[in-house]
Amino acid sequence: MKGDGVTTQDNTRRSFQPVNGARDWWQHAPMWQRYLVYIALIVFALILPAPWIGSFMSPASDWTSVLIFPIGTYILLAIGLNIVVGLAGMLDLGFVAFFAIGAYTVAIFGTKFGWNVWPTILVGIVLAAVSGVILGAPTLRLRGDYLAIVTLGFGEIVRITAQNTDAIGGARGITNIPHPSPVFGMEFLLDPAPYYYLILVAIVLVIVFSVRLQKSRVGRAWAAIREDEDAAELMGVPTFKFKLLAFAIGAMIGGFAGGIYASKAVFIAPDNFPFILSATILAAVVLGGAGNLPGVILGAFLVAWIPERLRSVEWLKHLLGDKDPAEFRILLFGAVLVLMMALRPEGILPSRQRKAELREGTGGMGSLGAEVAGPDTEAAAEVAK
Amino acid sequence: MTPLLEFDNITMRFGGVTALREVNVSINEGEIFALIGPNGAGKTTVFNVVTGVYQPTEGQVRFDGDRIDGMKRFQVTKRGIARTFQNIRLFHNMSAIENVMVGADAHHKTGAIGAVLGLPWHRKEEKRGRERARELLDFVGIGKVEHETAKNLSYGDQRRLEIARALATDPKLLLLDEPAAGMNPAEKNALQALIRKIRDDGRTVLLIEHDMGLVMHISDRLAVLDFGQKIAEGLPQEVQTNQKVIEAYLGVSEDAS
Repeated sequence: MKGDGVTTQDNTRRSFQPVNGARDWWQHAPMWQRYLVYIALIVFALILPAPWIGSFMSPASDWTSVLIFPIGTYILLAIGLNIVVGLAGMLDLGFVAFFAIGAYTVAIFGTKFGWNVWPTILVGIVLAAVSGVILGAPTLRLRGDYLAIVTLGFGEIVRITAQNTDAIGGARGITNIPHPSPVFGMEFLLDPAPYYYLILVAIVLVIVFSVRLQKSRVGRAWAAIREDEDAAELMGVPTFKFKLLAFAIGAMIGGFAGGIYASKAVFIAPDNFPFILSATILAAVVLGGAGNLPGVILGAFLVAWIPERLRSVEWLKHLLGDKDPAEFRILLFGAVLVLMMALRPEGILPSRQRKAELREGTGGMGSLGAEVAGPDTEAAAEVAK
Repeated sequence: MTPLLEFDNITMRFGGVTALREVNVSINEGEIFALIGPNGAGKTTVFNVVTGVYQPTEGQVRFDGDRIDGMKRFQVTKRGIARTFQNIRLFHNMSAIENVMVGADAHHKTGAIGAVLGLPWHRKEEKRGRERARELLDFVGIGKVEHETAKNLSYGDQRRLEIARALATDPKLLLLDEPAAGMNPAEKNALQALIRKIRDDGRTVLLIEHDMGLVMHISDRLAVLDFGQKIAEGLPQEVQTNQKVIEAYLGVSEDAS
């Protein structure tokens, strides 16, 4: 997706590695060229809902709706989860909890108290961040596998609590969530287009946040923690604080996505927030290349789009005869995922640093970071030697 | 004059093993102090107690007048103690300059909000940190490899980079854990000059080293550890002739015991 237009000319000249060629070009490109690429990407995103694109991208369902959910929503979630998994190197298996908290906040404040959607999205973001801190404060001392299990539990707790709390609709969920009020003359009603632009603005905003963080002291601290947490702490990085920060920021983005989702969906129920969604977003991050934003966005796009596209593949229809290919799409999707990870275990577009870390088996996802734990593990003994 | 770093009766036990037994050491400001001893004598344990990796079982560590035992590791660093590691522990996949900038960030204040909004003081800090990191890379003599990934540097350069990273936290006291390990004679000479330069910059250096030539050459004073106990302390020439030290290193002759 991103950067496709710029690679072709370059790779013939310098090398036959289009990805690296594009990266080198990008690193040395002057500002005006970068802005041209940004503008081109935004123009591309603006014309993306056009019916002629939709006719081959998703012949079976409304393309603009598919762009909002799952594609746009998954991209937002993946960018959020990337901060936790890709940048700070912590494995989070319950990311859907923050998505649910954002969505439920908008739903509850909108239906029970009649609030306008815009402020409730903000409230949702704040509540997601708070819950991220509440979850993180006691658990971020854990590393690797242990953290993964606790976050997995948290995701389930949030969903089951929603299911068993009648005040927020229980298993039936919440209906009649109000739409957002008009902005710049754009009415948010049944036409999906305005929601597409809304989610586009959200994605651009979150990308800018994410890049700025990554390039700052905060991003450096995360990278240092991912590489060697003990050394980072001894170089003056308050590791706990920065891990908590990553968790809270990831949660905020998850909550943001949830708020937008609820305001479009009109109806939400606990079933919209299953564990499999956490796993799918994690798959998107890993598949695309954890830590590298274009890769993560591409991963989220593929993970969202492939199952939709498989609903209506002509040759599949012939192959399956009277059976509907839609019934087999998840099976096929799984095969595609396995194939992709077998061919490119470091992800489709990995960041150079993450690629090297994974090869070494360090850095969060690779080793799950578990071997640098308390004072009596092997790695700590190495410091102590 | 009160010493910069003071070990007051430090005992460090791990279960049944006593790694340090009632160690008293004082290090004065502006000196190069070496810690020597056979393998397993407890030298690195001393470093770990100073930097907050371990809390001593008994005793106190005072730095610049304050107790630092029980402080968190990053707080100890902020207080003015930085270290290198016996087995190099750089951030291997980050560039040389980024490694140093992590150290420089120890005294930076911007958090997420400043970074996201691109606030002016954040930009200023970032710029200053980068400049400082460049200076330090030049100072330790590896300015040319600024953008090289740390793990691709030669062994000697990695050791230098670790020193630069530690210096970036602006320490009053620099702990060097076997900085000459694996270096050739020419590199060792350059390292000696570098350690002197660091001292002349107004920092105090505490050094663990096995290379006796280097230790005797550059240290102002030294202490000898054996089986977790301090067996000698003093000027290099005094320690060299100390009977206990010779025994610890060479073993005791039969008729002496």
